Amino acid sequence: MDEEFHGHGEHHDGSSDATPGGYEDSRRPGELAFAIFLLLASGYLLKEAYGISGFEALSGPGVVPMGTTAVMLITALIAVLTTWRRPLLTTETIAKDILPLRVIVFVVLIVSYGLLLKPVGFLPTSAIFLILAIKFLDPRSWLFATAVALFSLILVWFVFRIIFTVLMPAGIVPEAEMVQALRDLFGGAK
Amino acid sequence: MDAFLAFFTIFTQPELLLLVGVGTFAGVYIGAIPGLSVTMAVSILISFTFSWDVYPAISLMVGIYMGGVYGGSRTAILLNIPGAPSAIATALDGYPMALRGEAGQAIGVTTVMSFFGGFIGILVLALAAPFVSDFALSFQPRDYMLLAVLGILLVGSLSQGSLVKGIFAGALGIAIGAVGRDPLTFTERFTFDLPVMQGGISFIAVMIGMFGVSEALLQLHHVGLPAVRQKITRIVPSFGTVRKYLPLALQTSSIGVIIGALPGTGGDIAALMAYDHAKRVTKKPARPFGQGAMEGLVAPETANNAAVGGAFIPMMTLGIPGDAVTAIMIGALFIHGLNPGPMLMIDKPDMFWFIVGALVTANFFMLLFGLTGIRIFTKIVEMPRSVLIPLILLLSIVGAYAVNNSLTDVYWMLGFGVFGYFMRHYGYPLGPVILGVILSRLLDDNWRRAIISEREDLGRFFHGILTSPLSLVLFLTVLFIFFSQTPLWHKLKARLLRDRTAEEAEQ
Repeated sequence: MDEEFHGHGEHHDGSSDATPGGYEDSRRPGELAFAIFLLLASGYLLKEAYGISGFEALSGPGVVPMGTTAVMLITALIAVLTTWRRPLLTTETIAKDILPLRVIVFVVLIVSYGLLLKPVGFLPTSAIFLILAIKFLDPRSWLFATAVALFSLILVWFVFRIIFTVLMPAGIVPEAEMVQALRDLFGGAK
Repeated sequence: MDAFLAFFTIFTQPELLLLVGVGTFAGVYIGAIPGLSVTMAVSILISFTFSWDVYPAISLMVGIYMGGVYGGSRTAILLNIPGAPSAIATALDGYPMALRGEAGQAIGVTTVMSFFGGFIGILVLALAAPFVSDFALSFQPRDYMLLAVLGILLVGSLSQGSLVKGIFAGALGIAIGAVGRDPLTFTERFTFDLPVMQGGISFIAVMIGMFGVSEALLQLHHVGLPAVRQKITRIVPSFGTVRKYLPLALQTSSIGVIIGALPGTGGDIAALMAYDHAKRVTKKPARPFGQGAMEGLVAPETANNAAVGGAFIPMMTLGIPGDAVTAIMIGALFIHGLNPGPMLMIDKPDMFWFIVGALVTANFFMLLFGLTGIRIFTKIVEMPRSVLIPLILLLSIVGAYAVNNSLTDVYWMLGFGVFGYFMRHYGYPLGPVILGVILSRLLDDNWRRAIISEREDLGRFFHGILTSPLSLVLFLTVLFIFFSQTPLWHKLKARLLRDRTAEEAEQ
C-alpha cells in the first residue's frame, strides 16, 4: 500500500464509492447474512411489485417495479452464491471490524435523537446529542464537550433557523418568541 | 442587435453585479452543505424576489445556480459527502485525494475546470441554442428511456467492485424511486398500506443518509487517527496542468452541454456520463480511477457546469426545463409576466441576452470565490473527528428535515444511513442507488409512454428502435456498455491484446 496514503483502505470499508469495501477472494464476517437478507427482501419486494398491477398491461404501473425487483432478486441470488463459496476471513470479527460498540452507541444516539426531536424540540435534543457524542469520542473534559457543542449548535441554529428560515420542531423551547426577540433587537422596537 | 446590448446590462449596473456576486457566493456555500440543495435555495428565493424587478431577481438566481452546481464539489472532496447530486462523481477521486492531503490541489483543479466547463456551456447557449434545442426536441420517449438505462448501466464505471452488486444497487435505487403513488394512474406502489409512504421517499433523504450518515459511521472506525493536514500551498493549478487536461475538458464539456440541454436531465447525469467517458478514453492515468485520478475530477466538474448553460437552452427556447432549478426559474419568469418558450426569443430577446450576461458574470465570480476561499474550507477536514462526526450527523439531520419540514425524511435518512454503512462494508456501491432513485421517474414514465404509443406491442417497440437512427445509436450504446462490463469482454480484450503483442513481437 502507498505509504503516503492516509486513507483506510486496509479496512476495506468503502472509503470511496469507487473503491467499495469487501474482499474479492474471501468474505467478511456477516457478509453472507447481509446477502441473504438482501435476497429475502428482494423476493418480498418482487411479490409486492406483482401485486401492484400484475401482468395486466405492459404499460401498467407495476411493470417497472416488477422488472427492477426481479433484477434485484437475480443479482442478490448471484451475490449469495458467490459470497457463500468464498472462505470466511479469519482475521476480522463482527465486534471489532464491522459493528464495534462505538458504532452501536452512535446508532442508538441518532435513533434517540430522531425520536426525541419532535416532543423535546430541536435545540435541547441537539445540545444533548452533541454534548454526549463529543464527550463519548473525545477524552477531554465535560466542559470542553459542552463548550464545543453549544458553540456549534448556536452557529448551526443561526444559519439554518435565522438565515435559511428552516423551521425545526420547537418542542419545549419557546423558539418563536426567541426569534421574534432577536428580530426586535436588530430591527428596533416599534 | 439592440437585444444583444442587454448582454452588457449586468456590467453597467453595479447593483446587478453585486447581486450576481452575492448569489454566486451564497450558491457555493449552499451547494457545499449536504441537504441544502440549490433547487431548495432558488425556490425559497422566488418568494423573496417576486416583488423585485425581473433583472435583479434573475441575477440573484443565476448566481446561486452557477455557484451551487460548483459548490457541491467542496464537501464531496473534503468529506466524501457530495453537497449536490451533480458532485457524486467528483467524490470518487476527489475524496481519495483529500485523504492524501491534496484537497487544495483537487479544489484548485475543479474550480478552474468548472469555470472552463461553465464557459463552454454559456458559449454554446449563446451561439447554438436553436440548433441544440431542435436536437433535444427530436427525442422520443423511448430515447429518454434508453438514456435512463444508459445512465444506470454506468454502475460498472462507478464502482471497481462487483458488477452484480453494482446492478443490484442501481435496481434498488429505481425501486426506491417508485415508492409512493404512481403519478399516471395514482396506484399505490410499495406503500405497504402506510399513509406515510404515499408521498414517496425524498431522494435528498436517501442521498444524505447514504453518503452523510454512513460516512460519519465509517469515520467512527478512525476516531483515534490524527486529522490529515491538507497541502494547500499551490491552489491555482499550473498552466501545464490545465493544458494537459484541456482536451479531456473540452470533450466532457460537450457531453455536459448536450446532456444539460436534454429536458429532465441535468448536471448529475452529465457528470456521471463524463466520468465514464474519462475512464474509457484515459489510457494511463497517473493514479487509478477511484484512487485520486485527476481525470476523474476534471471530467465531472467540467460537465456539470457546462450542463448549466445547456439546461437554459430548452428553458429559453422551448419553455421546457433542463433540470429542477430551471423548472423553478420558469416559474419565476412567469411570476414576472414573461412566457418562456419560443415566443420569448421573439418577443423578449433582450431577456435571453441578459441571462447569458448574468451567467458569464456568475462564472467569473465562481472562479474568484472558488480560488480564494479554499483555505477556510480545508480547515473543515482538519477539525478533530470527535467534533466533526457529531456535526456531520447534526447537519445531515437538519438538512434532511429542511427538505419538506418532515420528520419522516429524518427517519428515512437514518435508515438509509445504517443500511448504507453495511453496504459499504460489504462492497455494494452507493452511487448507483442514488443514480437509480434520480432516474427512476425518467425510466418509468418514458417506458410507459413509449409502449402506449406502440399500442402495447413489444414487436412494434423494438421495430421503432431499429428504424430510428437516434434510438438505434442509443440502443447499441446500451448494449455495448453492458457487454463491456462483463467478464467475457474482459477475456476477449485480454486475448486481443495478447495476440497484438505477439504479432508485434514477431515483427
